[in-house]
Amino acid sequence: MFIDFFYTLKDVGVPVSPTSFLTLHKALRTGLINTLSDFYTSSRAILVKSERYFDLFDQVFAHHFQGAELPDYTGVEFDEIARALLEYWLKEPEALADAMGIDESELNKLSPEELIEYFKERLREQTEAHHGGDRWIGTGGTSPVGHSGYHPGGMRVGGVSRNKSAVKVAMDRRYKDYSLSGPLTQAMMGEALKRLRNMVPVGPQDQINIDATLYQTMKNGGEIEIVFDRSLKDRLKVILAIDNGGYSMDPYVMVVQTLFDYSRAQFKDLKTYFFHNTIYSTLWEDPARFKKPQYIEELVRFGRETRFIVVGDASMAPYELMAADGSIHLEERSGRPSIECLKFLAKTFPHAVWLNPITSGMWGYTQTINVIREIFPMFELSIDGLEKAVAHLMTK
Amino acid sequence: MVDASTNEKFSGATRYVLDDELASIVNISMALEMPLLLKGEPGTGKTMLAHAIAESLEMPLIVLNVKSSMKLVDALYQYDTLTRLNDSRFGDSSRDVSNIEDYIRMGKIGQAFTAMSRTVLLIDEIDKADSDFQDDMLDVLDQMEFDIIEIDKTVKARHRPVMIITSNAKKDLSDPFLGRCNFHHIAFPEPVMMREIIGVHFPGLDAELIENAIGTFYNLRDVDAVEKRPATRELINWIRALKADPDFKPERLAEGEVPFLGVLFKKSQDYRRAAQYIERRRVL
Repeated sequence: MFIDFFYTLKDVGVPVSPTSFLTLHKALRTGLINTLSDFYTSSRAILVKSERYFDLFDQVFAHHFQGAELPDYTGVEFDEIARALLEYWLKEPEALADAMGIDESELNKLSPEELIEYFKERLREQTEAHHGGDRWIGTGGTSPVGHSGYHPGGMRVGGVSRNKSAVKVAMDRRYKDYSLSGPLTQAMMGEALKRLRNMVPVGPQDQINIDATLYQTMKNGGEIEIVFDRSLKDRLKVILAIDNGGYSMDPYVMVVQTLFDYSRAQFKDLKTYFFHNTIYSTLWEDPARFKKPQYIEELVRFGRETRFIVVGDASMAPYELMAADGSIHLEERSGRPSIECLKFLAKTFPHAVWLNPITSGMWGYTQTINVIREIFPMFELSIDGLEKAVAHLMTK
Repeated sequence: MVDASTNEKFSGATRYVLDDELASIVNISMALEMPLLLKGEPGTGKTMLAHAIAESLEMPLIVLNVKSSMKLVDALYQYDTLTRLNDSRFGDSSRDVSNIEDYIRMGKIGQAFTAMSRTVLLIDEIDKADSDFQDDMLDVLDQMEFDIIEIDKTVKARHRPVMIITSNAKKDLSDPFLGRCNFHHIAFPEPVMMREIIGVHFPGLDAELIENAIGTFYNLRDVDAVEKRPATRELINWIRALKADPDFKPERLAEGEVPFLGVLFKKSQDYRRAAQYIERRRVL
């Protein structure tokens, strides 16, 4: 019974388990579920374990039992791209019209809504994934439209304005808030991180050391002497710096989210900062990298015992790393090349690692990865790599 | 045991207004003998629900307040080594020093398991403890028994307690743990529901006061960028404060005045924001 319902839930991404499905059937047998609304509340309580999925559950329930339309989830992406195209169109109509091979004046006649529809249509025509061509929208092509065009000459959707060089991504405040929970799928990750601990005795002496107490008592010929200890607490400080900008990190969002989730649960004293591509004079506390800057010099106050973990693909144009004004962000003009900042951090925190989501076999092909590997010990962001990284962080 | 649970149904208590949805979830969880995990904004009555269930089913309530440093063993039992050492030295108690069992004391979960009648066990704010706490609890929940290692004895639950677990969502709970619970998220009550809740807490309260207080309250909840928005608990305390003030008149609320703002907003930044908001509205 309700097997379709169960699988639809699974398909749209509600994490449901077979056990809970069986529990639901047990519940049906109790005779407490007599109406559809009873079924709604109890199936939700039994199958769905987080309010995050309540909305999705409601939609599936309505679809299954009332015949409501299931929203088309693939549509969302189209919408976003189409909207970005519209923005771009408003700024540089000629370039866009040219790229799409249509007459600018044709598009001029359309209202914004019609334009969006038009863009969506064109997007749908493009049925295959399109990476690296030169005509149409995709990732990493040389067409001026789309995500991260060929670097020096290309532009980004919503990226170019104020007559600045196209290389600068001044407008680009795109970000992923990794702190929003990701799926907790890789329990292994938690296991690997668990070993990253530093137990030190802290607080008042309020723990009775029974062995020592007995020993002292015997030594005193039976006269009780109670020995107290401080309790052991995990006092490991961890700084996690995440590259959350740029499209090159997008494929790794899931794995970084998982890492973030686990480290947040694992470490009592965790600071998370964000950066884009590489670290200059500041890290950012907010994922948008806008409101709360943290100057890296000030990180010194955390002390040398702090573990410093960088997560990023370490892939960028070499001048971003080497040049004094290398940042692709206009407002970052400290005059200090990023490589100096990285060296400073590596010196400040002897226990530091760089976790790279790119598989280690590919590292040799990217120049900046090789340079950064000289500064930070680099490990693959995989269970294996994580274990090695933890082992490295725990060496005295 | 099963009969007892299906015959008894929970339908609210004297001081707790229950919506139908939650009532049926509570009843289903009791019938399935599964713990019910409650999440929701602080102050929406997660803890109160357990009190209400205990009251309406006339079962004793055992509360385990989870602390951050807590280990599961602390919640199960305690082996009082110090007393035993003391007794072995002075030997002036009725306890038998050679019998370790005399020095085992039950923790809250242990008490619920060994109680002579079915109890309501509230495990409050489980997310405060380490994730080890939940992991260790899985077995206890599954088997409804635990071992006392010191005397190699297994304590089985005489009656499966009605278990209510609350979480403030500070941390995500682990999947295997969630799998063993039923889940409900208590949404913030709508104004209609809120009127009922206030009615239950303050029977015979002046209607004008209720209207004005609830109106002001929901307005203030909409103030932007507030870290901790006032919840039901704050509203109840606030009305209590308003009632206690002999100079207070309900019209003053309608005029946009908000006395005792500190009862509603407890963080200094929130307080300032709310005060600004009120000031601006009064000027308009």
